[in-house]
Amino acid sequence: MAEISETMETEPSPPEQTANQHSPSTTFDDKIMRKTKPGLKRLTLTLTVFFSFLLGLPFLLKSIEIYRSPLPFRDIDLLSHTIDSNPFVFPCKFHVVFVNLENSDAIKPRVENLGFLITSYMSRFTHNNNIPYCGTCDGNYSVSVSVDTGDDLALRESGFDRMAENDEVFDEYLVTKVGRGWGYTVVVVNKGEGEGLRAVVGKYRHGWVVGRVGEMNVVAERVAEMFVKVFVSGGKEEGSGEGEFMPVGADGKIVVSFSLLNADPRDWVYDWDFKEVDEKLLAPTLEALAPIANISVESQVLYHTPKSSYSYWDDEQESHIFSTKDLPFFVNSNEWHLDTSIAAGGRSKILQFVTWGGVVVFNPPNCLENANSMKPLRRKLSSQELNQIFEVFMGQLRQLFGLKSTGFYKGASGTFVLLSSERGFTEWELDALARQHACYNLQQCGTTLGSLSRLVQSLPRMIIKDEIGKQPFFLPLSLHVILAVVREMKRYKQESRKYVAWEAIRKQHSD
Amino acid sequence: MARCLFILIIILLLFTLHVSSEEEFTEELLFRPLPDRKVLSHFHFESKVPPTTVYGHHHRLFPKAIYQLVHKYRIKEMELSFTQGRWNYDSWGGFDPISSSNAKPPGVELWAVFDVPPDQVDTSWKNLTHTLSGLFCASINFLESSTTYSAPDWSFRSLSGNLRYGSLPREAVCTENLTPWLKLLPCRDKSGLSSLMNRPSIYSGFYHSQRLHLTSDEFDPVALHGIVLEQTLTIVIQPDALETHAAFSSSRKLQPSWSMSSLFGKTVDGKCALAKSSNVYVQLEGGLVYNMKDTWNNIEGNDGEIVQEVPYEVSPDRMMKEINSFHKDGYSILYGFSINNYHSSKPFDLGFWWKLPVTWSCVKAPLRVSRFLMGSGNEKGAIALSLQSTEWSQSLLKADNNIEKCNLRMYVDGISQSLGDIIEKMSVSPSEDKVSPGVMEMVLRLPCDMKSASLTLEFDKGFLHIDEYPPDANQGFDIPSAIISYPDFQTRLQYKLDNASIKSPMVSKMQERRTILSYTEVLLVPLTTPDFSMPYNVITITCTVFALYFGSLLNALRRRVGEEERLLKSKDKSTGKLQLLLSKMFAKLRGKPWEPPSTPPPPSSSSKFISSKVILKIILIAAIAFGWQYYDG
Repeated sequence: MAEISETMETEPSPPEQTANQHSPSTTFDDKIMRKTKPGLKRLTLTLTVFFSFLLGLPFLLKSIEIYRSPLPFRDIDLLSHTIDSNPFVFPCKFHVVFVNLENSDAIKPRVENLGFLITSYMSRFTHNNNIPYCGTCDGNYSVSVSVDTGDDLALRESGFDRMAENDEVFDEYLVTKVGRGWGYTVVVVNKGEGEGLRAVVGKYRHGWVVGRVGEMNVVAERVAEMFVKVFVSGGKEEGSGEGEFMPVGADGKIVVSFSLLNADPRDWVYDWDFKEVDEKLLAPTLEALAPIANISVESQVLYHTPKSSYSYWDDEQESHIFSTKDLPFFVNSNEWHLDTSIAAGGRSKILQFVTWGGVVVFNPPNCLENANSMKPLRRKLSSQELNQIFEVFMGQLRQLFGLKSTGFYKGASGTFVLLSSERGFTEWELDALARQHACYNLQQCGTTLGSLSRLVQSLPRMIIKDEIGKQPFFLPLSLHVILAVVREMKRYKQESRKYVAWEAIRKQHSD
Repeated sequence: MARCLFILIIILLLFTLHVSSEEEFTEELLFRPLPDRKVLSHFHFESKVPPTTVYGHHHRLFPKAIYQLVHKYRIKEMELSFTQGRWNYDSWGGFDPISSSNAKPPGVELWAVFDVPPDQVDTSWKNLTHTLSGLFCASINFLESSTTYSAPDWSFRSLSGNLRYGSLPREAVCTENLTPWLKLLPCRDKSGLSSLMNRPSIYSGFYHSQRLHLTSDEFDPVALHGIVLEQTLTIVIQPDALETHAAFSSSRKLQPSWSMSSLFGKTVDGKCALAKSSNVYVQLEGGLVYNMKDTWNNIEGNDGEIVQEVPYEVSPDRMMKEINSFHKDGYSILYGFSINNYHSSKPFDLGFWWKLPVTWSCVKAPLRVSRFLMGSGNEKGAIALSLQSTEWSQSLLKADNNIEKCNLRMYVDGISQSLGDIIEKMSVSPSEDKVSPGVMEMVLRLPCDMKSASLTLEFDKGFLHIDEYPPDANQGFDIPSAIISYPDFQTRLQYKLDNASIKSPMVSKMQERRTILSYTEVLLVPLTTPDFSMPYNVITITCTVFALYFGSLLNALRRRVGEEERLLKSKDKSTGKLQLLLSKMFAKLRGKPWEPPSTPPPPSSSSKFISSKVILKIILIAAIAFGWQYYDG
């Protein structure tokens, strides 16, 4: 270091000294001008270091980069974006059958146009919602119309009119005639008498409209709404379908866990025959739901589990009311094993949802009588009581899937009667659920993939602690080099300016 | 004859059906005074469920979590214990069924037998550890690593192949482990005997061990018993002495009298409404009974005065005497109290009052085994296992008077070293780094007149990779307890039941023949731990040196020394005001008259370094560095 500085000490001085000696001109000011060309040695040196540094920078960055799996990031983003913007749309087939149309001659010639009319009404119903529902048949459907003249379908048999009065009987009758294919059928029965139209949706994939068929538009609107709002959307409320939560895990499994909680077994112990419940009440429903989810049922009876929230008496409803806010803390979680994680997934890393189905508070009248007795009262819930309880559970289960249990659907064109199935879910409801489930699954796949790729891309550069050392090395050195380059450049410019100034003066003098 | 056979078969069928058609829950509590003025309390809960093929999978008493666990991982048998404290084999005994099955090594011990093909056992074990970890709020999932569990071939239990054994000696046990354990009981700690479990008294005891043992034959072709879940809590407490009879109250020899309320601060408000039977027992050991008789010269029935605390003086419901005792004169006595008829207005509080001082000793295990570390330094060490015969082994051998049994046969599971011709069988699976722990199993046949023996095993301490050290590595590494079993000795307490109709799972457990098991101490081996900051320091220093070298080289190459010197000289001529001020101040401080600087101050470095330009530069660099860190990191 010392040697270098010593040798360099003399270096810059000679040209300036010689310059001073050579022309002792009064105009020469060594602060703003110089007589020799400024040297390029130091500038070249610093620039070389700087550029080699720049060249080495990619290698350095590469060496501190963490491993990123080579995922097709762009394709993933594209896919998730496509799924998001264009929801999956299913193809649907609709069929309308007119019965008894010969009575009203005014309409008969226009039947051919009816298909087109219904389609236009249907598109009006679908376009009411700006964003198409996930799992609907938005635009991807075909409507066919046929008129039953008594020959082809032979719907009219003896006692047809009588059957049309009883919904359940007519529903079963239609199954035998229309079948249980994949299309949805609406039978329009013209009675030629009475006021207005009565629309009923059966347990299978068909419905019927009975009444005096007058104005064709009214019929078409009715039929179109039944197709769009009931068969396709599952009769759900407007807006409730958006981003809806299907309580089915990613692996398609649901564990339905039933717990019978006894507040204090010292007073009374209630028991149930859950095996019977499982076989008689739950099995048909679970069988019906099998295409959507793989459902397993478990049960337990717990004791010393008093409820921790209190109900209030509501005069209007004539019942004790609990607030929905109480639900998560209905029973102190310290008192019981709520989780069914062992049955559900074991050690799977798939996220599991625990959803509250609902709570039924059962208050048998003979409880109080036994309050002060020494021996606890032991009772088994009778099948009648169990039926009552499980009706409520079924409603709660339907609610979980976003289905109503009111028995009717109030649409824009009128009210539709919905027949309820003994299995808890009608076929068209299951269709809608299956479509929705498939669509949400697809959407979830897209979002999961998208967020995965975003996560991988956003991983920080340096997470390995052994690499930390490169920062203290890299930072001051690079700063040093950059500063040196800047200074040298500045200096070179300044010196060049001095030289140019001197040159100008010399030229003046020589002139 | 044919009819007879037919009837017999029907009865048999009826009997089996009767046995396996209902879920059952029983609760029991046993007290036993210990020779060193302490009291052993042993809670025993048993839940049974008939096989699924008969009963279905909906239960009203049996915990759902355990049923699902058994079915998910196909468990044949499993035992999980959480223990704090060390069982004192010398004073609390090591031979009787209770100490043999409830004295557990400190921390967590888990073993399980699976009914799965051998290649799936490890997967099942790993999943099981994770599930149990969640279920019991403990770090049992650390047993997942293949270095923490082993598969003993033949020593631990005769079951082999599908058995896995692991223990975590350092696991701290507290209420968060007890609460999930209690949740498995139908009454939890709300009523019944479990309501006695006052947390402060349990955890201030000398020893407590909470155990969960389950056996299932669900996967057998013919399931008979279903799943049996046995939950025990064993506590050793030093009772606060109750007020005793005046004559001996000052005597130190008198054992402290105690009652349930003095031990736990609580009484029992009646049985758990769901329990089939709910009993409290007091067990007096053979030695105690013998000595009491001897001391007091008393007649039978008056020994060990057990009274109910005022105002209820209830004598025990039944008394059971041991038969076939190995004590010549003393036989153990079990007093049973049924708490079926007690309720909140008539609580049950058992009191035990000593009237006269008495001393006795417990039946010890045939050998007193202790394990310790030898050697010093960080390179090598040795583990020693010392075996000393107890007085009981002698008397036992004499009592048996059997040459065959003169030899002690013993399994040592853990680490020890060969001993010549007394080794009958030995298998060693040496530890493999990061793959498996070292396990040594050996059968020793010790001669009858042996007083003591010791085994030493030398070992090398290895170096681990920096990532493999646990947090707080300086504490050392725990070596789990070694297990010693005596296959030739089987223990059982046979009681003559005065009333055959009373079926007590705990008493029938005592009557079962079982192998004696005992555990050694946990060892703490200090390992060489590196200076964990060293790699970082090395990297930092190297990088700094490099940065300095490059920086100064670059500086040296591009400096213009001559020019700088000239610049300095010109600057010196016009001395800064600051410098004048400074020299004035210095002069004042020194107490000398100030002279204007005739000669330029030699290095003038102080003023140069604090020049605003330098400060600006430093701030700039710091700002850039900060920005770099902020955006890059």
